[in-house]
Amino acid sequence: MASASARKTQSPERSHADAVVAPDGQVETGQSVNGQVDIGQIAQELTLVADYITRLKNEIGALRANELYRSRLPGAHDELGNVVSATATATNSIMASAEEILGYDDDTLEAYRERVQGKVMEIFEACSFQDITGQRITRVVEHLNQIEKRLSRFASAVNARDTDVAPDKEDAAKQTRKDVLLLHGPQDAGEGVAQSDIDALFD
Amino acid sequence: MGLDLKMPILVVDDYQTMVRIIRNLLKQLGFEDVDDANDGTAALAKLKDKKYGLVISDWNMEPMTGYELLRHVRADENLRVTPFIMVTAESKTENVIAAKKAGVNNYIVKPFNAQTLKSKIEAVCGA
Repeated sequence: MASASARKTQSPERSHADAVVAPDGQVETGQSVNGQVDIGQIAQELTLVADYITRLKNEIGALRANELYRSRLPGAHDELGNVVSATATATNSIMASAEEILGYDDDTLEAYRERVQGKVMEIFEACSFQDITGQRITRVVEHLNQIEKRLSRFASAVNARDTDVAPDKEDAAKQTRKDVLLLHGPQDAGEGVAQSDIDALFD
Repeated sequence: MGLDLKMPILVVDDYQTMVRIIRNLLKQLGFEDVDDANDGTAALAKLKDKKYGLVISDWNMEPMTGYELLRHVRADENLRVTPFIMVTAESKTENVIAAKKAGVNNYIVKPFNAQTLKSKIEAVCGA
């Protein structure tokens, strides 16, 4: 086993192997100004790295990634799926009632009124979907808030920086096709152009 | 000159709800012969089987978009003069211009009402 003095006077050629990456990303060699390795400084740096790793592990734990992808994200996915399904069911029900009303050809106004009132009540009933979907969307917003909070805390704690990761080839091809050929759906209020402006392009 | 209410119309949209809405609006306007397709590929097959007086198509569909359908229609010697109205939820000027350059006859932004649909059909079909 090397003595403490021998360890303190290792040759400068080994200094690169002794380099330590500090939590702030800077490389520190633990080399003193006269070219000798300062074991004390290296130990201090290793302690810093160990502390950083411990903190990182704690932050990863606080992220509760397993809960996010096993519960929160599938939960949001299911809620949105149910919203789509409920709105489609309600819309079909409303349209079916409206179509029936349009097709009524009763002889008397009284008979017509009675049948229309029955269908109008069905339309009101179908509109109750808004209450249910509103509650489901509120839950999705809660899931997203949780995800946002945890990711934000994690990114801040580990000083995360975004890097460009090469996308999967198949995904990249799909994305390119979407970018070139598909539109991006409805605009938010104030965005896009009005029908009257579009009409002007065709005049 | 009024609209030819017997003119066959093809409605192309991947959302059955939207197809149903447009079908009902057309029915209220008096059109009797309305078919539908749920994407560009199915629409193209129908266009080759039957002569339509008008195509009303959504843009965002897979596997063939409304924009691609429009280009196919305009490139086909037998279909190129078929009036074509694009219906989309997005109204960016560059998309409208791209559709116009590709030969679209008119462009409607969702949501729209029966009056808008009627006025565009009249403008396109020369009523």
